[in-house]
Amino acid sequence: MSTAAGPSAAHGSTGPRMRGHAWGALRREWIKLLYQRRSYLIWGGAVVVPFLIALALYLAGADPHGGEGPLFLQNVTSNGMYVALAALSALLPFLLPLAAAMVAGYMIAGEAELGTLRIVLLRPVRRGSFILSKWVMAIIYLAVGLVLMLASGLLFGAVFFGLRPMITLSGSTVSVWHGLGLIVLCCLYGLAAMACIVSLALLFSAISDSSLTALIATIVIYIVVQVLIAFSYFDWLRPWVFPNYFLDYINFFRDPIYWTPILKGLASFGVWSFGLTFVAYVLFRRKDVLS
Amino acid sequence: MTPAVADVQTPSEREGTRPEQQSCGDRVPILTTHALTKQFGSIRAVDGLDIQVCRGDIFGFLGPNGAGKTTVIRLALGLIHPTSGYSEVCGHRVPGELQSALRHVGGFVDDPTFYPLMSARRNLRLMGSMTGPVTEERIDEVLEIVGLSERAESRVGGFSHGMKQRLGIAQALLHSPELIVLDEPTSGLDPRGMKDVRELIRELGAAGTTVFLSSHLLHEVEQVCTRAVIINRGKVVVQGPVSELRPQSDAVKVLTEDQGKAADTLRAQFGAGSVLEDEGFLIVQAGEDAVPEMVRRLVADGVAVRAVVPAPEQGLEDFFLELTGTDGDRPAPKKRRAGLARLLPGGRR
Repeated sequence: MSTAAGPSAAHGSTGPRMRGHAWGALRREWIKLLYQRRSYLIWGGAVVVPFLIALALYLAGADPHGGEGPLFLQNVTSNGMYVALAALSALLPFLLPLAAAMVAGYMIAGEAELGTLRIVLLRPVRRGSFILSKWVMAIIYLAVGLVLMLASGLLFGAVFFGLRPMITLSGSTVSVWHGLGLIVLCCLYGLAAMACIVSLALLFSAISDSSLTALIATIVIYIVVQVLIAFSYFDWLRPWVFPNYFLDYINFFRDPIYWTPILKGLASFGVWSFGLTFVAYVLFRRKDVLS
Repeated sequence: MTPAVADVQTPSEREGTRPEQQSCGDRVPILTTHALTKQFGSIRAVDGLDIQVCRGDIFGFLGPNGAGKTTVIRLALGLIHPTSGYSEVCGHRVPGELQSALRHVGGFVDDPTFYPLMSARRNLRLMGSMTGPVTEERIDEVLEIVGLSERAESRVGGFSHGMKQRLGIAQALLHSPELIVLDEPTSGLDPRGMKDVRELIRELGAAGTTVFLSSHLLHEVEQVCTRAVIINRGKVVVQGPVSELRPQSDAVKVLTEDQGKAADTLRAQFGAGSVLEDEGFLIVQAGEDAVPEMVRRLVADGVAVRAVVPAPEQGLEDFFLELTGTDGDRPAPKKRRAGLARLLPGGRR
């Protein structure tokens, strides 16, 4: 080591506070995500799934499942616009929640496992803004994944089947651009749904020192709720749990758009996301960082 | 262990009171703890701790394993919440004004860890941006200080433990903080690296930076620090200038060519209970005044004397053992709780 170790006044700790705290925090979280290999695996999956759907249907010919499979699958061979929608339908029930749980579950517990949490929290960072930046970045990450899925769906849909005006569930026809707008709305709805999973995973991530525990706890709760609401005995539970509203984005494809279930779903997502994130914040604020 | 000193009471035990804080005199306290207490379940890891670090100190923080050193650092820097009491860091109360306090502090707790896929430079850039603006020139400067300039663009994942320690020191220095807290900074370093770190700490101290050095290497503290505190069982045993931290007992250490025969001679002189053995030395409960007569008798009995070390000349290690030797093997506090309790934040169920 050099013996010239004297502190430099130019970098004194009394210097001005960093401008744009929020952007700074988000930028740091973004960089951290980019330096994780798993990030690219999930994004890669988002690109590959629409391609595989399009390729499989192209090779199998029209209506390969006799109307079975994810929503909109039977429409794909007649119009490539449906590839992205079919991919969203295929991903939303399980793979997207898994990705959301994995990303958010790693956000805090992963840093605890790595040992960087204690280094980060020795910097003048408020735990509230820390957890909020984590939440926002998990959502941005999933949004990028959905954009990739959408772009891949449209690209391979166009390549294999061509892009044409879409037929809504009500039987009316909308232009390619109108259809594209509806698909984007569906993706945004899916993203709002994933916010609940992100919040739940972040809660477990905040109170556990194991990202695997956070991931498993989130997925187990999600699956248990899905199983419960599949039984008519638990019909009374349906309005209160967010997975019940996951597939309501199809109502964007009614003409006119059937807003009631959509708004109910968004309200449920909002309440659950806010509630779970708030609980995560309260618990994390008081957490002893021993990792 | 240390039979000669095992039964010696600590000053606080002798007096039955908590050791009083050492005043900073004209200097300003930069880190103070006020009756700081932390309970982990049934274990009281830190028990009403009152320590005071003055501005400009190179402050040694000593204690046996499980004494609560790291817990105290975590409490002082807001990583964990006290059960009662509080700290004041650079004039800001912790945990109440934690962010303001941390703006003036650099350091690390336990082993410094970094993002393994990022380079050393990017890690420093990322960490530094959390405190405030940091220039590339400053990053180059701190990397130069810790001797990592040539590995600035290498991924930290490939670094050795010693290199990570150096990088930990570099990130602590980034904003030239007023207070630097280093938890075992020479752990994992080779002798050259340890010497470099000690020199660096001295230079930081000479430049006016306060350094809080937690270490179990007593000679390191003895060489580098101006003041020190010894804690045990989460309590202050003693604190003060390092030069004054010397054994208070009347034990004299004796080394001869025939320890058996010497022991017989000395037992005849001072009584059987006054002479014990410890790590090759004979420990004789006798005052400094008795040394000439002790040597004369040994020589008269034909025992060649190699060394006699009266209590005031014994080092910090002897003092440390004298103070903590009776109960230094207490297990560390539990960090994990069982079952669902693990899912709750510590101490707030």
